[in-house]
Amino acid sequence: MQDRDVKVSAQPAPKPIDRSTEFVAVEGGVQTTSAGTLLVAAYGVMWALLLLFVFLGWRRQRSLESRLGDLEKALAAATSSSSKG
Amino acid sequence: MPRADVAFNLLLVLTAALFLYVIYYVFLVAPEAQLAAGGLAQKIFYFHVPAASGMYIGGVICFFGSVAYMLRGTDIRNAVAKAGAEVAVIFGALMLTSGPLWAKKAWGVYWTWDPRLTTTMLTVLIFTAIVMLRTFAGDGEAERKFAAAFGVLGSIIMPIVHYSVQLWSGNHPKVISEGGQGLGDPRMYHALYVAMAAMSLLSLLFVWMRTRLAMTQSRLAHAEERAATAGILEEP
Repeated sequence: MQDRDVKVSAQPAPKPIDRSTEFVAVEGGVQTTSAGTLLVAAYGVMWALLLLFVFLGWRRQRSLESRLGDLEKALAAATSSSSKG
Repeated sequence: MPRADVAFNLLLVLTAALFLYVIYYVFLVAPEAQLAAGGLAQKIFYFHVPAASGMYIGGVICFFGSVAYMLRGTDIRNAVAKAGAEVAVIFGALMLTSGPLWAKKAWGVYWTWDPRLTTTMLTVLIFTAIVMLRTFAGDGEAERKFAAAFGVLGSIIMPIVHYSVQLWSGNHPKVISEGGQGLGDPRMYHALYVAMAAMSLLSLLFVWMRTRLAMTQSRLAHAEERAATAGILEEP
């Protein structure tokens, strides 16, 4: 333990010339993403997708109601014109 | 109230109650898994795997609806096949979005071209193509038959997806399937089974809703055609 401390403290501070002067892609980099963030993101996306599905169904139903309304109006107009005639 | 509506409402209430229980149990009771499995992120598993069962349910319903439609084309059979494909897409999307978020913690990457991931994506793309075809190519007899044949094709690939882990190995873990080590705590099994029940009921609920919607759409289209033939309504 003491040896390791000595070794660590013996490392010289990097000079500006030793620092990175380019960016290189690294395979299997250190995992830093928070598990909590990923969990919340997964649940958020899940509920968003489910709500989107329900919303799309509701919008389709609205469009059907509008078409049904047009049909009812047309039927009412046809019925009234035939009763007048 | 008609019996079908009562049954639908009961299913709705049961599904909602199960979901509330699942959320409580997964977050507050089920223990965290080891860090190599993702630690806290492993809890995504309790919705990721049940989403797969929802996709399978949608796919199987699409398969039977499509086969039935190819044998004898009726509106209800077409509606069932269409609803099954839509539900397979939404649950497939749930699986494909939750999996990578868990994988980021467990594997260090969002995506890898593992056999199961690749075949799952292919299945979801096939079902998406079926839904797109039904939405944009019209609702004629030929389009319906083509979509039904496509539905059979899309569903046939599902067993390949299911057994791809055993067939070709890969990164995707086999924990509860054959060859897996299982879940290390009974609370984990409980959370998984209740979540699977909740997600399966939700998929059935969605299939029911979409089938009714598609049937209403068909009946309205027929009524509009008759009204147009009688000169009451202008041709759409």
